[in-house]
Amino acid sequence: MADELRIIDNDITQYIVVALGNEQYGIDIKYIDNIVRMQRITRVPKSAEYFKGVINLRGEVVPVMSLRVKMGLPEGEITGKSRIIILKVDQSGSIGVLVDEVKKVYNLRADDIEDNVSHDSKSGVQSFISGVGKVENGLVSLLDLSTIIGEVD
Amino acid sequence: MDVGQYLGIFLDESQEHIQALNDNLLTLEQDPENEDSINEIFRAAHSLKGMAGTMGYKRLQRLTHDTEDVFSAIRSGQMKVTSSLIDILFQALDAIQGYVDTIRDTSDEGENDNESIIAELNKFLNDEEGGEAPAKNKKASGRASEEAASGGDYGASGEKALYRKIPLEEAQKDVMKDAVVAEKKVYGFTVYIAESCMLKAARAFLVFKAVEELGEIIVSNPSSQDIEDEKFDFSFSIFVITGEPIDKIVAAIKTVSEIEEVVGEEFDEGMIDSNGVEDTSGNAQEQVNEEAHETAGAEVSVETAAVPQADRSASEASSSSKKAAPAKKPVASQTVRVDIEKLDILMNLVSELIIAKNALVSSAAQMSGGSNSESQAITENVEYLESVTTNLHESVMKVRMVPIESALQRFPRMIRDLEKKLGKRMQLTITGEETELDRTVVDQIGDPLMHLLRNSADHGLESPEVRSGRGKPETGSIFLNAYQEGNNVIIEVGDDGNGIDVEAVRQKIIERNFIPEDQALQMNDKEVIDVLFDPGFSMAKQVTDISGRGVGLDVVKSNIEQLGGDVEVKTKLGEGSTFIVRLPLTLAIIQALMVLVGGEKYAIALGNIQTIEDIPLSEIRLVENKEVIQLRGSVIPIIRLSDMLDAPVIDRGNENLIIVVVKKGDSLAGLVVDELMGQQEVVIKSLGKYINTSRIISGATILGDGEVALIIDSNALF
Repeated sequence: MADELRIIDNDITQYIVVALGNEQYGIDIKYIDNIVRMQRITRVPKSAEYFKGVINLRGEVVPVMSLRVKMGLPEGEITGKSRIIILKVDQSGSIGVLVDEVKKVYNLRADDIEDNVSHDSKSGVQSFISGVGKVENGLVSLLDLSTIIGEVD
Repeated sequence: MDVGQYLGIFLDESQEHIQALNDNLLTLEQDPENEDSINEIFRAAHSLKGMAGTMGYKRLQRLTHDTEDVFSAIRSGQMKVTSSLIDILFQALDAIQGYVDTIRDTSDEGENDNESIIAELNKFLNDEEGGEAPAKNKKASGRASEEAASGGDYGASGEKALYRKIPLEEAQKDVMKDAVVAEKKVYGFTVYIAESCMLKAARAFLVFKAVEELGEIIVSNPSSQDIEDEKFDFSFSIFVITGEPIDKIVAAIKTVSEIEEVVGEEFDEGMIDSNGVEDTSGNAQEQVNEEAHETAGAEVSVETAAVPQADRSASEASSSSKKAAPAKKPVASQTVRVDIEKLDILMNLVSELIIAKNALVSSAAQMSGGSNSESQAITENVEYLESVTTNLHESVMKVRMVPIESALQRFPRMIRDLEKKLGKRMQLTITGEETELDRTVVDQIGDPLMHLLRNSADHGLESPEVRSGRGKPETGSIFLNAYQEGNNVIIEVGDDGNGIDVEAVRQKIIERNFIPEDQALQMNDKEVIDVLFDPGFSMAKQVTDISGRGVGLDVVKSNIEQLGGDVEVKTKLGEGSTFIVRLPLTLAIIQALMVLVGGEKYAIALGNIQTIEDIPLSEIRLVENKEVIQLRGSVIPIIRLSDMLDAPVIDRGNENLIIVVVKKGDSLAGLVVDELMGQQEVVIKSLGKYINTSRIISGATILGDGEVALIIDSNALF
C-alpha cells in the first residue's frame, strides 16, 4: 500500500509481475493494453508453435502466444488463474500473451534493476530478458517485449 | 473564403481535363481531321487555362495559354495536325501534368518555366503561314458568338436580368451613387451557372474572386454566406463598383468554367434608385418616374427589414425563374464527392453492425426453442434486421465501387510512347472499362497492370520484321479485358506476340543457378513459368528502362496478392501469352459457407463454390497417387482439408464424403469437409502482422457467438 501512495518520480517504472510455473517475470506496464481472462482460442494452422491461435477482443481478431512455449518452457495447464495479457507495442495492432497467473504491480526504481543478466543460467531464455528487478520477496526477470513479439519468423 | 479550399476541386478537375486532352490527342493522332476531338481539346485547354488563372498559377496559365493558341489555330483550320505537332503537344501535356503534380504535392506550381516547350509551341504558331493572327481573330469571333450580345449591354433587356429585382438598402444605394459621382462605374450582373455543374458554390466563389480582382462587390443576392453554403439555384446576382469597362468584367466572369451566361448592364443614379421594384422597366430613368419609384423602393426596404432573411424576399422576387428551373433540370444524375476516408468509416461501421447482427441471430436461434409468440416476434424481427443489414452492406459496397476505367486511362498513351521508344508497331484494345471494383482496389491495380502491359510490349511482342516473317500482321496487338465473374473481377492482359518460351526460361534458370539443374529439368511448364514471378529473376537479355530490372512480375504478383487476388499465365509459344488477374469484388464482407473440419469452424467464400457433392467413398480413385473423383464427366482432384489444416481427423464412420467443389477459372477442386453449417455473411478481419499462417487462410471472422473462425481462400489451393 505504501508503494502506491509514493509520489511517482521519473526513474520509477511500473511492472506487472506474472507467473510462469515457479518463475516470475515482469512486463512494463506501458505496453499493456488490457488483461483478459482465458477465453476460447481459435487455432491457426501452420503458425509458429508458440502461437495458441486468435481470440475475439471486442470485435478485433488478436493473436495469442503462449509465453511458456516462447520461453522454452513446457506447455502449462490452463487454470482459473490463467490470463491473456494484451500488449500494444506499436501502432500496428495488438498481441496477447498467455500467462499462468498475474501477481501484482511493482514499482521499480532504476537502482532496483540489474541490467547485466549474463549470469542467467537459462541460456535459451536469456535473450528475452532485459534485466532483473529486485522486489521484496526475491527477483523478477524483466521481459524484453520487443524481442519477444518482434521476432517475425 | 480562401482559394485553398478549392485546391481539391482544382486538382480533380485539372486531372479530368488533362485526361480529356490525352484521350483526344490520341484520337487526333489517328484521325487528324476529327472535329469532335479538336473541339473537345480546345474546350479542355480553355477550361484548364481559366482554372489556372483563377487559382493564380501563372506558369501553368502561360503554358496552357500557348497550348490553347495552338489548338485554336487547329480548330480554325489554320494549322494541320502533324505527328511532330502531336509530339510537342504531348510534351506540353506532360509539363502541364508536372505542374499539377507539383501543385498536388506542395500546393505551389514550382519554378519550372518549361521555356523550351513554350518556344516550340510558338515556333509552330509562327511557322504556319499567318497562323497566329487569324487564329486570334477566330478566337475573338468565337467568343463574340458565345456571348449573348456584344457591346456594353449583355442581354440585359431580357427577363434574365434578375439583378434588377434586388431590393437595395439605402446605405447600399448611397455607396453606389457615391461611386457614380466619383466617376466609377456601377454594374449589375446576373450570373447563370450551367445546371449540370456539381460545385456551384465553388464556381460562384471563383466568379467572386475574379470580379473582386477588378472591382468591389457591393451587393450579392443571395448573400455570399448562402452562396458559400450552396443555398441558391443556378443563378446569382451581384452589384459591382469598378473603374473597369463592363466587357472586361464579363470576360473575367467567363473565365470561370461552367458559367452558362452572364447578363449585366451599367447603372446610373436613377436606375440605382429604382432597382428592386417589381414593375421597373429597367430603362426607367426619367425624372418623372423617379418620385414614384422612390416611395416604392422605400416600401420594399421596409419589407426587407420585416423579413430578416433578405434572400427570402429576393427568392420570392425571382420565383418566376426558380419555378422554371426544376422543370428543365438535366437528366444527368446528381452526385456528391465524398472523401474516401468517410466511406472507410462507414464500411467499418457496417462491418460492426453485421457482427452485432450475427450475434443477435445466434441468440435468437437459441431462444426460438420456446414456441410462444414473443420468441416468434423476435425471430421475425431479426430476420427483417438481417435483410436490412444485407441491403445496407450492398449499398455501401456499391458506393465504394468505381469503374476500373480510371486506372486504365493512362495506358493508351503509355503504349503510344512505348511504340516510339521500342520501334515496334502495336495496338492496344481495352474492353470492360466499365467493370466496377472497390475504390481501394482500383487505386492500387494500376501499377501491376502497367507492369503487365509493359511486359507485353517489351518481351511479348516481336519486332515487325520477325512478325512479318511469321506471317503475323506487323502491328502487334495488346489487349486488356476486364469482366466480372461471380465474386471476382477478372482482368486479362495479353498479347499476340511470342509467348513464353518455357525451354528458354528453363535454360536461364539453370544458367543463373537459380534452381539446381537436375531439379530444373524435372519441373513442368507451370512450375517453370512460376519462376518468372519469383523475386530476383529477370529474363531480359538486356536491362531496359521499360522492364527487365528484376522487379517486374514478382512485384506484380505481390501487389495483386495484397489486394486479395492472384495472377496466372496462359501462354503458347509463337502465339502469345495472357496474364489473368483475379481480384475480389469486395475486401470487407463476403457471403460464406460455414463448414466444420476436425471440430473447427471455417468459412469458404460462397462466390468460389461451384457445387456441394455427397460422394460415396468407393467412388474415389487414385491418379498419380492423388485422390480424384469423377463428376459429370470431369475428373476433379480432391483435397482433404483436415490434412491441409493439420486438423484432427474425425472418423465418422460415414460411407459418404461431403465435398465442396470450388472453382478457379476453368479448374475445379473438391474440398473434403466433415459437416456443412450453412451460409452466413462474414466480415473479413486480418490476422495481424504477428502471426504467420498458411497461404490458404486469408483472414478470420467473428461469428455470432463471439467465436473466431478462419476464412479459407480456396483460390490458394490450386
